[in-house]
Amino acid sequence: MPGISEYIILGAILFALGLVGFLSRRNLIVMFLSTEVMFQGVIINVVAFSRLHRAVEGQAFALFLLVIAAVEAGLALGLIVLLHRRKGTLDAEEWSVMRG
Amino acid sequence: MTASTAYILYLAFAIGAAAVYLMLPRPERSKAIAGALLGVAALAVLITLLVARVTEPGSTRAFFCIFAAVALFAAARVVTHNRPIFSALYFVLVVLAVAALLVLQEAEFLAVALVIVYAGAIVVTYLFVIMLAQQTGSPVYDRQAREPLLAVLIGFLLMAAVAGQAGALPDTVEQGSVLATQTGPDSPASSIAEGNTAAVGRAVMTKYVVVLEIAGVLLLIAMIGAIALSKKKVPSEQVRTARKPLGQVGKEVAPY
Repeated sequence: MPGISEYIILGAILFALGLVGFLSRRNLIVMFLSTEVMFQGVIINVVAFSRLHRAVEGQAFALFLLVIAAVEAGLALGLIVLLHRRKGTLDAEEWSVMRG
Repeated sequence: MTASTAYILYLAFAIGAAAVYLMLPRPERSKAIAGALLGVAALAVLITLLVARVTEPGSTRAFFCIFAAVALFAAARVVTHNRPIFSALYFVLVVLAVAALLVLQEAEFLAVALVIVYAGAIVVTYLFVIMLAQQTGSPVYDRQAREPLLAVLIGFLLMAAVAGQAGALPDTVEQGSVLATQTGPDSPASSIAEGNTAAVGRAVMTKYVVVLEIAGVLLLIAMIGAIALSKKKVPSEQVRTARKPLGQVGKEVAPY
């Protein structure tokens, strides 16, 4: 049976991969897909700790994480459609004027 | 985790970081192939490390290795593929592998919920938006990553910081310690006798019922927000500038 550290490290690798994708990709859709990969890493971590403590609270927490992920995806995709309608491109660099 | 294991782990992270750096979208294709080879090497080192730590025979570890490898490969492809639609499809593979890992951790209800919510709903929404917004051919922003070296360095540092802590974690929590919760190993909340779905359902519907209501309100707000966002009429800057006389293009910002 793999111990908790394997699951934690796996979750951390998924989180780091998502972070790299979010920072380096320029396509808005792929950036938000990367955040979903980060969510997967977090869910693995939460469930691993839930199992370590033999408690079900971590799984309930992961369930609420799913809700947040759905909310985030819905709003982010609505925003992406709006931004795409305005500029006609999905390039995040196009909006770098918002950096100030 | 011994010191030598930790060093091999860091080595695997470093190889993996180099692999992701080379695989990120860039004009030259040859570097991507070298990155893929490095990525396979990093995965191999990680799995050897896992197999070397085996203490008792059992199929669980083999399944863990397989699904972890699938999840990592697919996640790397989500991040590095230069066509968004393939990124979305590889993300489905990530979700399926993670669901399998949740089954290994005795979280069956969550695994099924993950597949239904993610693979069934969220990815479909993503695919719709990709098809709505996709341009013909492969645009330049999909072929050229932004600051890949910096991003990979940040990811590697994060990994090194987390892995240093994760190695020190205990594999079980003793009863009576600070970490132990009230539900012990023999309590019905965690035992198989009741079933995972019933246990999660009981926790959500009794202890966290207020949170459940808030989650429902949040979903409602998001739904209204998404409808309001996508109903809004936004003037396209392209169309606006195209209609202007030639001398005035780009002189003023279009009113919102």
